Amino acid sequence: MIASTNTDSTKIDVTDIQGFALKGYNFPFARYLLLELSHVQGARDFIGQTVQYLTTGERWQEKPISTVNIAFTFPGLVKLELPAPTLLSFPVEFQQGMKARGEILYDTGKNSPEHWEPVWRDNRVHVWLAVNAQTAAALEQQCALLLQIANQTGGATLLQAQDAHAIFIDGKPTTKEHFGYTDGFGNPDFKGAQRDCVPGQGKLTHDGQWEALATGEFLLGYADESGELPVAPIPHLLARNGTFMVYRKMHQNVATFRALLEKQGALYPGGKEKLASKFVGRWRDGTPVELSPDHPDPAIVADNDRNTNFTYGKDLNGLRCPVGAHIRRGNPRDSFGFNGELVNRRRIMRRGLTYGTYVPEGQPVRDEDEHGVIFMALNASLFRQFEFVQQQWIEYGNDLHQGNDKDLVIGNHGGRGKTVLQGTADPQNPPFICANLPNFVELRGGDYFFMPSLTALQMIANGTVDPR
Amino acid sequence: MANQNGQIYGLTILSPILEGDTLDVGHATALRWYLASLPRNHTSPFARVSSTHFARLVVMDDVVFVGAPAIEEHVKSRYLVFESNFDGDLDTYLTRMAQEIPDFVDSVWKHCVGYPGVADPAAFAAYMKKCQIETTFFFADVNNKTVQQNLRALQVQSALSHFIERNQGKPAADIQKSFGMLVEHLAKAAAPLPGGIDSEKTAAEDRPYDR
Repeated sequence: MIASTNTDSTKIDVTDIQGFALKGYNFPFARYLLLELSHVQGARDFIGQTVQYLTTGERWQEKPISTVNIAFTFPGLVKLELPAPTLLSFPVEFQQGMKARGEILYDTGKNSPEHWEPVWRDNRVHVWLAVNAQTAAALEQQCALLLQIANQTGGATLLQAQDAHAIFIDGKPTTKEHFGYTDGFGNPDFKGAQRDCVPGQGKLTHDGQWEALATGEFLLGYADESGELPVAPIPHLLARNGTFMVYRKMHQNVATFRALLEKQGALYPGGKEKLASKFVGRWRDGTPVELSPDHPDPAIVADNDRNTNFTYGKDLNGLRCPVGAHIRRGNPRDSFGFNGELVNRRRIMRRGLTYGTYVPEGQPVRDEDEHGVIFMALNASLFRQFEFVQQQWIEYGNDLHQGNDKDLVIGNHGGRGKTVLQGTADPQNPPFICANLPNFVELRGGDYFFMPSLTALQMIANGTVDPR
Repeated sequence: MANQNGQIYGLTILSPILEGDTLDVGHATALRWYLASLPRNHTSPFARVSSTHFARLVVMDDVVFVGAPAIEEHVKSRYLVFESNFDGDLDTYLTRMAQEIPDFVDSVWKHCVGYPGVADPAAFAAYMKKCQIETTFFFADVNNKTVQQNLRALQVQSALSHFIERNQGKPAADIQKSFGMLVEHLAKAAAPLPGGIDSEKTAAEDRPYDR
C-alpha cells in the first residue's frame, strides 16, 4: 500500500541538500578539483572539515561570492570504507562508473577512453570538489583554502584542476557556448523546489498546463513519477536528499562545426543562421524555433514565461522544429503523444559551463585548441534518466522515426553521420539533408558521482554509516 | 486468422524436448548450448530462409514463482519454443527450412520428441504443424511488406538521402540529369542481401550520380 500523503505539498529541507543539486548558480567562474583520496582517516578528516564550507540550497538574501560542492565516485566511497552492504546497495551503473558503461553510452571510437585525458582513464578520481565564483580572485581564494585542508589532513591529493568559465563578450559574461548558441535555458522543475513551475519546465498536465515533476526524479528518498522511491543505497539516511551526477568533458571541434555551417549554409535556401537554428531547435540567440521558425526574436528570449514554453504536438512532422533537433532529442516533450507522459521519467537537470578560449566567428580557429563544455547532469537514476536519453535519443533515432541518425551537434558520428531536416514546399523552408558528418563534439573523460546530503556527508566523515 | 496479419505469418511452435537421465548432458542443456552459439547477424541460418523477418528459439522450463511461498508450475515436458515472423504461407516456409537449412534444423530438432528428420520435407512440415499453437498476437513488423520489399526500400532511402545531400542547391537541370542516373542505377542495383543494409558498404558503393 502506498502511504497516503499529499505529494503536492512535498516539503524538502533545502539546508540539508547541496545547492548545486537544487539550482544553477550562474556564476561566471568555476573550478572542478579532481581529487584522489589517500588513507581513510585523512580522507574522513578532509570531508569533515570541508563540510562547513559547503553551499546548501538555502535561499539567498544575496548571492555569495563563491560556492563549494562535493561529490564522490564509487571508488571514492570504497576508499572511505563505507560498509560493504552499503557499497553493494548502490545502483550498478554507479558502481561500474561511466567508463565501463561505454558500450551502452556509445562512448566508442573517437569518444572511447583511449582518447580521454589520463586523469579519467584509471579510476583514480575519487572526489569532485567544485567551486563556483563571481570573480577570478574569489575562485583562487576558495580553491586555495580547500586545497590547504586537503594538504593539512593528508586526506586528498589534487590530480587535476579543471577550469571552466562563461564566455565573455564585450567584457560581460554570457551563456553562449563555443558554437555560438545561447545555452542553458530552463531545467525541469520539481516539487519542493523553491520557485513556482515555469511554463515549459515541468511536466504537461492533461489540460495543457505545466506542473512540477515528482521530487524523486531528482532527489533520492522521495517518491518519483511512478509513485515509488528511486533505487538508492542503504541506509535511507545516507541516500535521502542526495542525487547522482554525470560529469562529461566535451571537447568542441569549433573549426569543423563552423566549416559545416559555412558550406551547408551556402546551399540551404533559408541561409546559414536558419540552418544553425534547425540543427539545435533554437536560433543562436536562443529563440525557440518552434515559437519563431522564420527569425530570431529577442523578446521571446528575454521572457522567462515564453522562452521554454512550447510543445511539439502540433508539429509532429518537424516542419517548424526538426524532429531530430538537439533540444527536441534531449527533451522531446509531447513528440511521442500521450500528452508528453513518456518523457516524464527521462528528464535530467543540466549544469554546465564552457571552458577554454572563445574565438569569435570569422576569426581563425583550430579544432585542437582547448575549448568545450563541462557537461554535468543530475538525476535520481543515471540508468533510467541520463543513460536512456544518451543512448536512445542522442545516439539513436528510432523513437523519433529518424532511423540510425544521431544528434547532429553532439552525436558520435564517426564520419558517417546523417541528419534530415524536415521541411515544407515553402522555398525558404525546404527539406535538407546533411550526410557524412564527423564528430563536432568529442568526449575527453568524465564519470558518475554521488552527491550526498549534508547529513550523509557528516555520517561519511564520522565513519558512522550504518546499513543495519 | 490469428496467425496471420496481412501477408505476414506469425508462427509459434512448442516442440517437446527429449528426456533421458542416462545421458552425460541432457537434451535441453545441449540444445541451449547449441542455440547460444548461433550467430544473430546476417550469417544467421534464418538469413538463408530469406522470407524471415524475425525468428527466435528458446528453451522453456517449468514456470517458477520466486517468492514466498515459492510455486513450481510443472508443464508436461520441457519445450523448445520456436517463433518466426515470415512472408507467405506456412507450408512453403517449413519446406524451405527443410530444404535450405537442413543441417541447422537437424541440429536443433534432433533434441525433440518425434522429430522425423528433413529428408522428407512434407513429413517435417506435418511434424512441425502438429506442435503448432495459435499465436493470437504478435509483433507484425511495421508494415505489410515482404522482407525483400523492406530491404529494397531501405536501399532506396539510403541512396536517396545521399543523393539529396550531394545535389541539394544545384541547378535544376543538373539535378534532373543526376536523378535520371540515380533511378537507372537503382533499377540495376542488385537486391540487398537478407540480414540488413550495411550502411558502410552502401556508402562505399559506386555512385556515378553523386560525382
